[in-house]
Amino acid sequence: MTSSNPMRHQRAAWAFMGPGVLLVLLAMYIPVVYTIYLSLTDYTGLGTPNFIGLQNYVTMFRDPAFLTSLMNTAIWVVGTLVVPVGMGLLVAYLTFGLKGGSWLRIPFLIPYALSGVAIGVVFNFIFQNGGALSQALTFLGVPGAQTHWLEVAPLNTVVMILASSWQGIGVNALLFVVGLQSIPKEPLEAARIDGASGWRLFTTMVWPMLRPSTTIVVGLSIVNSLKTFDIVETMTQGGPNRVSETLGVTMYTDTFQSDQYGLGSAVAILLTIITVAASVIYLRRQLTIGDASGKGEVAEA
Amino acid sequence: MISRIVRYVVLGLLGIFWLLPIYLLLANASKSNGSFSGTQLWSAGNFADFWSNVIAVFTTTDIGSGLGASTIYAIVAPVIAVVLGAFVGFAVIVLKLKHGFVWFFVVFCGTVFPIQMMVIPWFSFSANTGLYDTIVGMIIIYSIVALPFSAFVMRNFFSGISESVFEASVVDGANVWQIFRRIYLPMSVSALVVVFILQATWVWNDFLLSLILTQSTARPVMPLLNALQGTEGGGPGYTVTLTAALLVSLPTAALFLFTQRFFQKGLALGQY
Amino acid sequence: MNARKWLAVAVVTAAAAATLVGCSSTTSGSSSGTLSFAEDKGWNYKPLSAAADKDIDISLKTTSYSSSQDAFQALIKQSLRTPKAPDIFTWHTGSQLEALVQQGLVSDTSSIWKKAIANNWVSPAIEKMYTIKGKQYCVPLEVDYWGMFYNKKDFAKVGITTPPTTWNDLMTDAATLKSNGITPFYSQGGNPWAFVWYMLLMSGTDLKEYNAINAGTAKYTDPEVKTVMDTWLDMIKKGYFSDPGSKTPTTTSFKDNSSAMQAYGTWYPGSLSQVGLKAGSDYGIFPIPAVSDQGGKTPVAVETAPVCVTSHSANKATALKYSQWLMSPAAQSTWSKSQGILPYNPKATAPNATLQAFGKQVTSSSYEAYLRYYEAAPAPVLTSALNNFTGFMENPGDPTKYLQTIQTASAQYWASNK
Repeated sequence: MTSSNPMRHQRAAWAFMGPGVLLVLLAMYIPVVYTIYLSLTDYTGLGTPNFIGLQNYVTMFRDPAFLTSLMNTAIWVVGTLVVPVGMGLLVAYLTFGLKGGSWLRIPFLIPYALSGVAIGVVFNFIFQNGGALSQALTFLGVPGAQTHWLEVAPLNTVVMILASSWQGIGVNALLFVVGLQSIPKEPLEAARIDGASGWRLFTTMVWPMLRPSTTIVVGLSIVNSLKTFDIVETMTQGGPNRVSETLGVTMYTDTFQSDQYGLGSAVAILLTIITVAASVIYLRRQLTIGDASGKGEVAEA
Repeated sequence: MISRIVRYVVLGLLGIFWLLPIYLLLANASKSNGSFSGTQLWSAGNFADFWSNVIAVFTTTDIGSGLGASTIYAIVAPVIAVVLGAFVGFAVIVLKLKHGFVWFFVVFCGTVFPIQMMVIPWFSFSANTGLYDTIVGMIIIYSIVALPFSAFVMRNFFSGISESVFEASVVDGANVWQIFRRIYLPMSVSALVVVFILQATWVWNDFLLSLILTQSTARPVMPLLNALQGTEGGGPGYTVTLTAALLVSLPTAALFLFTQRFFQKGLALGQY
Repeated sequence: MNARKWLAVAVVTAAAAATLVGCSSTTSGSSSGTLSFAEDKGWNYKPLSAAADKDIDISLKTTSYSSSQDAFQALIKQSLRTPKAPDIFTWHTGSQLEALVQQGLVSDTSSIWKKAIANNWVSPAIEKMYTIKGKQYCVPLEVDYWGMFYNKKDFAKVGITTPPTTWNDLMTDAATLKSNGITPFYSQGGNPWAFVWYMLLMSGTDLKEYNAINAGTAKYTDPEVKTVMDTWLDMIKKGYFSDPGSKTPTTTSFKDNSSAMQAYGTWYPGSLSQVGLKAGSDYGIFPIPAVSDQGGKTPVAVETAPVCVTSHSANKATALKYSQWLMSPAAQSTWSKSQGILPYNPKATAPNATLQAFGKQVTSSSYEAYLRYYEAAPAPVLTSALNNFTGFMENPGDPTKYLQTIQTASAQYWASNK
């Protein structure tokens, strides 16, 4: 039998939910409406915008550089799901329950703590032509020292995905650890007594019970990789000659460098639509399964 | 036994590999502007040069003036976001808000929209309402930006707690607020800490929002740091800038170090 | 007990918040002697502010946005009509200035310029860059001329005793350097420097065409441009340029001897001194010769950093007074000393002999000043040009497709702007 009076709790639920929803609606949704409006104009940042209908969207899709940008963004989504998510889980699982495990996680967490300037500097050190990576390869006698890591597409996109994984793995590992800590003891003990161990224990018991954390990590990876801007802007600025742009970078350069606010807004709206659609599809399914798969008791501290 | 040794070795090697870029940063921050060379990136600097760079950071740049504001933002805003996010998770999962997924998704989408496009409307609003360049204004905006992530994590964390916990508390006569404060919050400490440290780090490292929405009074560290990288003339020099970049990363690194105890619990899985 | 405790906390927090808000709002209103100054260059204005305080009782409260010029420009455009607009701000000449003037956002400074020209504080060639439809707007903080910085040790090593004075001499010297294993010229792709060699070669070959293209009356796809690009390609193929993809800071590159020469403005010595290079002993500067003879005058690129007064500012009178002072010999001497640059006011003192000699040369009548490409090209055209020149430098080949892409952007811009 569920809780006594659903109506009473609905009012309380709104008292809890209200502030968050209100703040987000006011602060985030109103600028989005404004951006939709701008995407239908030829605004340059000054003066009054002129309505031009869907022209920006047409221009956008006709530009070959935009299509490259779209493809690079797709590579980012796939790459971010494979590397930071996959390795994050690995690191979390390896360190979990290990004596001193939380200290072994520290090297993976420090990269996330670095300032943006430090990140930009270190990756330029490593990946510039004749930089630290090339110098190391030369020293070790490994071929490839002449590679222009950041100038050849799609190599530069792959390199940047690996660079951003340096920070992302630690964060994902931490989120997975929180999930692992919430897995109840009893079912696991029971399964172990039944003879399950290692890989089988992981796939049949741990992985399903990790779903709430997995949903967070994957859901955020999708959203953040679609939005990718900072690391690309720092390392290649979307270049050379726009070959490594992502949708976030295209949006930014159109708006802030070319003074084409309308075009940039159109890219932003398209990006938003894609992200919302992907999130709805993924989250709807994951959260329903997760909530319905029964709730165990949280392990005691 | 063997698997344990393997784990230590693998993690140890990976850890060292992970720290190599940090070595590059430290080594080159320990050089003077004159001795830094683009072709000798792996060579170690020396402590004397590093120390004089540190002194230069505090005497020739204005980085120090932003530390106070950064600290306030990085503590207050994530706390607000954590609390509001926990509220959202509680309402949707425990109190079973009608159409809970939809309302949750509305909050979640706050993290979908690209911040770069929102910054100019936010500037207009803050300039016309007097919130521009104020500590309060920045706290508000940082809290709102940090909220969707917090709501996501807390919602999912609460979904892993059995319904019977809530039902039993209701039967015991506790009101909703007491249940939230005395039962659900203490249960979710590690989730709350994770949200706090990740968002505090994000707020501390934010550059674009604080560049546009502050001017002098409320300006935190990052815009001041980035301003050290000039394109035409001026600036304190490359290695001093690098040293500054490392120094401002110390608080966030310390935050991760000192909250490790919340993530040490690992007895549920035992040995396998 | 609990409720009272929470109430107390709430009251204290609210009081603290109110104080913080209160604190910030008292500083937002400037007294008549202080100007709020927004800038995007990252320079040190303290000596200038101190001098202004001493001479005319006006000091500067500076906010720097040098870390993101894009964000700065978006912010300025947005803020100029709001109560949060700065009293004065740095900007760019060319189409960016025209855009602000068109909207009536910056103050007319024609009377200031009249006085300055009458006092011989500034040359009429510079006034032209600040003139839009017959009136002047903003005043120059500094004016920089572009020349070729060269490594004296490299030149001495290969036996070049005097810097080249003709293009042929320059190319011969380049060949000599190259055959001795020294890369002659520096090049860098991306934002901002990808335009440098296009600008130098185009203006040096046909200055009229260069100016016409930037005014929208000629095309990037004209045969004159193709000739220039072919010259550039030829120089790249001969290995005359350093790696355009290098991310090492420019000054460090010069110190590391990645190239014997670097083309930059007269603001560069300030940066070079940071890595320990000294004017006169380590490096010198010579004017860049014209590629082809254009009526006996050698083109020289000029960039200028304007300081503009917001027309809606409450402190407009103070700001205009400051603007007048800024052009004076006293202000310019202070500024050029603290920056290590050449002052544009002939009555001010230059900080070193190397710059002074160079300055005398390029301001003489045998040189013709033209606006640097970074300011002269409209924003969307500049973005396209930087991208395409970078592509051209990193994958040297037929320049036609790059020129066509830039021309598309140019045609699109000028179709809706005149």
